[in-house]
Amino acid sequence: MGELTRVQIDFATSHLVFPTLIGAILLLLGLAILIVERAAILGSATMWRRTFAEMDKLRFLGALALTVVYFLLMVPIGEIWPNTGLGFLLCSIPFVALAAILFMHERTWRKMVPVLVVALVGPLLVWWLLSDIFFLTLP
Amino acid sequence: MDIFSLISPLFVALIVSGTFVGIIFGAIPGMTATMAVAVCLPLTYSLGLENGLALLLGLYVGGISGGTVPAVLLGIPGTPSSIATCFDAYPMAQRGEGEKALRISIIASLVGGLFSLIALYFFAPALADFAIRFSYVEKFLIIFFALTVMAALSSNMLLGIFSGFLGIFISLIGVYDVTDGGNGHYRLIPPGTEYWLDSGFSLLPVLIALFGLAAILEEAEKGMPRAKTASEIKVGAQSRFSFSVLKGQGRNLFQSSAIGTFIGILPGVGGSAASILSYTAAKTTSKHPEEYGKGSAEGIIATEAGNNALTGGALVPLLSLGIPGDSTTALLIGAFALQGVQVGPLFIGNNPETWNAMIVAMIIANVAMFIMMYFAIRWFAMVVTVPKYILYPVILMMCVIGAYTINYGIMFDVWTLLIFGIFGWLAIKIRLEIAPFIIGFILGPSAEIYFVKSLESFGDLTIFFTKSWIAVVLWVLIVASVVGSILMARRSKAMAEKI
Repeated sequence: MGELTRVQIDFATSHLVFPTLIGAILLLLGLAILIVERAAILGSATMWRRTFAEMDKLRFLGALALTVVYFLLMVPIGEIWPNTGLGFLLCSIPFVALAAILFMHERTWRKMVPVLVVALVGPLLVWWLLSDIFFLTLP
Repeated sequence: MDIFSLISPLFVALIVSGTFVGIIFGAIPGMTATMAVAVCLPLTYSLGLENGLALLLGLYVGGISGGTVPAVLLGIPGTPSSIATCFDAYPMAQRGEGEKALRISIIASLVGGLFSLIALYFFAPALADFAIRFSYVEKFLIIFFALTVMAALSSNMLLGIFSGFLGIFISLIGVYDVTDGGNGHYRLIPPGTEYWLDSGFSLLPVLIALFGLAAILEEAEKGMPRAKTASEIKVGAQSRFSFSVLKGQGRNLFQSSAIGTFIGILPGVGGSAASILSYTAAKTTSKHPEEYGKGSAEGIIATEAGNNALTGGALVPLLSLGIPGDSTTALLIGAFALQGVQVGPLFIGNNPETWNAMIVAMIIANVAMFIMMYFAIRWFAMVVTVPKYILYPVILMMCVIGAYTINYGIMFDVWTLLIFGIFGWLAIKIRLEIAPFIIGFILGPSAEIYFVKSLESFGDLTIFFTKSWIAVVLWVLIVASVVGSILMARRSKAMAEKI
């Protein structure tokens, strides 16, 4: 029994001990889930089909696409005026405006005006607050 | 030390503004106290520890309390901790007694919040003094216990445990840090990504993603449900609030506050359990259980005292053991990390000023919450009508700032936000549990150090069982939590089948 429980940890490979153990436990738990939840797993194709059918594709995929474009543009634009945070400001204004228009249901001018005001004032205020008051680095 | 020396105008202003913003976040369905803390976390960066915590604790107390507004007026819990508030407060509002229901909630929230503070003040230092005696073995076991408790109390225990271990696994990505006694080697990193994943995924972008971006994606998937118009909500004043409604509610207030505090102390269990358990206990011991669910003031008192008592309770394991009590306090770990302070058994002893500041901040936050909500409840009620299409893009922008500034401006952290935002949305779909995942992610690196060091020191697996009587007690607790939750799950399944 004493031999069975004895463990020698080699310093050179000590970084793998815990990840291997957790990986093995995850594998076992995964197998247990496969067995216990087999009905739900077998029905997952239907669940995903229903999710995509019921999903508001325009808003969901549009939000994702807008976010990716926002992240991609922030740094290159910021590099034109380094250390000013203008990359953040110039990307955030159209992002907030477009995302709000995307999320909106009835797109009337009456509703659009507050959106555009928030899209302009919000990022400007945050940019000023973070870069001028809190001295935080922005892209 | 002079506790009043802590109360500077800036300190109070930060608490009050934090509470105000927290109430607004809590009051908007879909936005939570956790989201409020996540979004405002980068602001604490340049505030210093005490002032930063003042802001975050205000947000925490305000966020939990604000959740009551949509629960009362719309029947939608603003935060998960307000689930049971809907049972009685919404029927009361439907009768035109919204204002009365809100005022009852606010008073019960204040009592629950202050009760839990007393527990925090006395219990956390005692637990920390005790935990100082823990060696690596006991420290590992306490983390293991925390993980089993929260996984066992998940809606699906197996998925809860899996989520916790998945969180640990992902937290191990990167280098095995030399400063923690590791060997400095990489693991779990695809070749070529060492530059970005050297230290793994940063905690705060992950937290902001899971509680901010994932929630927005979920709302976007549902098509951004419209907010109610001012004419659709019923604050009403047909039946004026009177303090006489609290007559004979002392036991209920005490019982619910005690349950909420206890649930808060259990790692990772969260506000919804505190709220529902307080409600169930109050109904079981009530003289008028038949009135519950039809607009009973007793029911509202129980749930609101219970969920606000969670706030102080959840800080007990955080400040004494370094283990977050709920998802919001998990974010507070990030705030401490930002200031280079480690929470754990030595925290209170080594940082008496911060400890006192936290207690003072919590008292002021609770009082500020009461004053604001009691006297301006009609204005806060209007918050539920603010359109989400205006709020969510701004929140998204704040999430980006939070992720970017946390590590002095690393763009990879912003991409982490997107990766984990999508992961969070997927996790909700496939029923993975976010709270165990987060706690696993936070505690994973410490668990590894304690586990490996224990084995390096003793060279035998039996040490986890034989090291001390504390280890034995912890194993008993671990087994009891798992067995207890299996029995509870079976009982509720049997009851559900009967119904």
